[in-house]
Amino acid sequence: MKHFKLIFMLAVAIGLAGCQSKVEYGDATEVETVNENFGSSDLQAIAAKMVDSMLTFPPVMVLTANDRPIMFVDKIKNKTSEHIDTESVTDSISNKLLRSGKFRFIDMTKVDAVRKQLDYQNNAGMVDPSTAISFGRQIGAQYMLYGNLSSIVKQDGSTKDVYYKMTMRLMDLETGLIEWSDEKEIRKVKSKSFLGL
Amino acid sequence: MKQWLLLPLLSFLVSGCALNSIFINYPSQIAPVKAQLNTNTPIKGVLEVESNISGADGLLYAQEAGRVAQISGDFEASKEYYQQAVAGYLKFDDKATLSVSDMGATTSSLFINDNVIPYRGPGYERVMLHQYQALNYIFSGDQQGALVEVRRSNGLQSSEQARYQKSNESVQAMANGTIDAEVNKLGKAAGTVTSSFLNAYSYYTTGVLHEILGEPNDAFIDYRKAAQISPDNPYLQKDLVRLAKQLSMPQADEFERRWGKATRAKKEQGEVIFLIERGFVPEKQSLTVPFTIHGNWQTASLATYTSNSRPVSPGKIKGLGKSLTAAPIANLDALAITALKEELPAALIRQAARVYAKSEMARSVESNSKKRNNETDIGVIAMQIFNVITEQADRRSWLTLPKQAQIARTYLNSGSYSVQLDNGTPAQIEVKSGRTTLVWAVDTGNYTRFYSIII
Repeated sequence: MKHFKLIFMLAVAIGLAGCQSKVEYGDATEVETVNENFGSSDLQAIAAKMVDSMLTFPPVMVLTANDRPIMFVDKIKNKTSEHIDTESVTDSISNKLLRSGKFRFIDMTKVDAVRKQLDYQNNAGMVDPSTAISFGRQIGAQYMLYGNLSSIVKQDGSTKDVYYKMTMRLMDLETGLIEWSDEKEIRKVKSKSFLGL
Repeated sequence: MKQWLLLPLLSFLVSGCALNSIFINYPSQIAPVKAQLNTNTPIKGVLEVESNISGADGLLYAQEAGRVAQISGDFEASKEYYQQAVAGYLKFDDKATLSVSDMGATTSSLFINDNVIPYRGPGYERVMLHQYQALNYIFSGDQQGALVEVRRSNGLQSSEQARYQKSNESVQAMANGTIDAEVNKLGKAAGTVTSSFLNAYSYYTTGVLHEILGEPNDAFIDYRKAAQISPDNPYLQKDLVRLAKQLSMPQADEFERRWGKATRAKKEQGEVIFLIERGFVPEKQSLTVPFTIHGNWQTASLATYTSNSRPVSPGKIKGLGKSLTAAPIANLDALAITALKEELPAALIRQAARVYAKSEMARSVESNSKKRNNETDIGVIAMQIFNVITEQADRRSWLTLPKQAQIARTYLNSGSYSVQLDNGTPAQIEVKSGRTTLVWAVDTGNYTRFYSIII
């Protein structure tokens, strides 16, 4: 009986230890399938596909052969039924494009901050006028990069199907022509387990 | 000796869950929250329910807290609460087909009552949740977020529609995009009106948000569905005529013939859209029937709705220069009644099983004690008391929802207006030419609160 009690206590102790939550470092590029929502793997897949497609598109290669065209990223419109931080998607894409050394960027989200700084330099009376950067010297963008992220969600009984489609386009601001366009599709199917907690 | 073991077990069970709705009926828990909404510090009602959000019925309390915060005008807090409720629903969605915790809850419901089963709102409550969340987003200035919630409620609306499609002709007609007043008339006679299981108010709200955020085509689809459910609403009819014309839809001429031409805003005018919510959805009442089995007293309690509710009058909006009378678009009490009707068969089966389980419990105690002839049957008495006390109807439902939703729409010259609903407190709204002012008014009885935003 005593042995039994001991074994029982041990089992309880082990069982409780097994329930403890723990924190681990993981690989940031690892495939993530915690649930069917838009996740890091989707973001990475979209960014990789878009950047590859754009940099290997022959007309774009011609554009970037002798020049580093200047572009700005318009917001990606979120047309899905999830609250997704689309700025993070555009950040990843612009980051990769910039790192390729083929493009230069204007950050439209920082225009207000820049205006404030220039206003301070020129009008506050605190900065040596010879070192102050004057207004109206910035370079205008030649291209606009923009896109849409949409989704179709279907659910029937224990199966849920989520389809994402990201469309991106590069527009020449002078002519209004679309120089490049591509889309990335992602499909995820989730099936509920039959037996569980 | 067995019954003496049972007693502490029972008392433990009872004390362990006395705090939530298992023994204190839900409407009386929410009564102070609703009373608080009729004072000038409505947000205090949140404190009453906040601590229960982490419990088994967290979803329900999160819905109530979100709604209270929303009525008080704290849209950010409301967003948080609603998010918790949404997470609760998603957790239910993810549950396995045969879930151990579900089975556990059903089993304990056989010995106590249905209130031990974690609350999962009926379809219309879930749609309302996303609809209100969309209003939270729009009133806190996040249009993209509002559209996400609109799409979510659209998704849920279509799954609700699909659920009734097989059984109901008028819902089929809705899928075909026709607005058939005849089907509705028949439905009214048969007591199966579309408006009693589908919510025209959510379709209209999502339609309005689609329209003012620049997606008129989606708005047209939502308005058309709303009109199928609530065909007599004059504002809705005019919206359909106007949008059909604007989008050059094939139905444009037909709509114009039926409902007349739609007016357009003049140059200096802006549009004002009123969404008005009045009263509170009725509370579930309990119907208790006492009876004896093998000489042991027992009761059966079922939730029901009593039909003595006063009708809501259409709101008169004053202070716009001309009088404007709102038109009802949806009665939420009808939706609540249908939801209960649908739950009833399953509840009855559980009730029958519970009656059996409880009578067996009482009998098992009895046969043991009979052996000792002259002793008082404390075990039997205790068991009967336990059985009667624990037999409580499941009266849980989202109670801070309005009883009726009304809409109104008009064009006004740009400027500032002091609007008033019936004889309530006036509130300021702004109208700008070429823009749309969305006004959301919640009338809780003594107070009418107005929220408006220009888009």
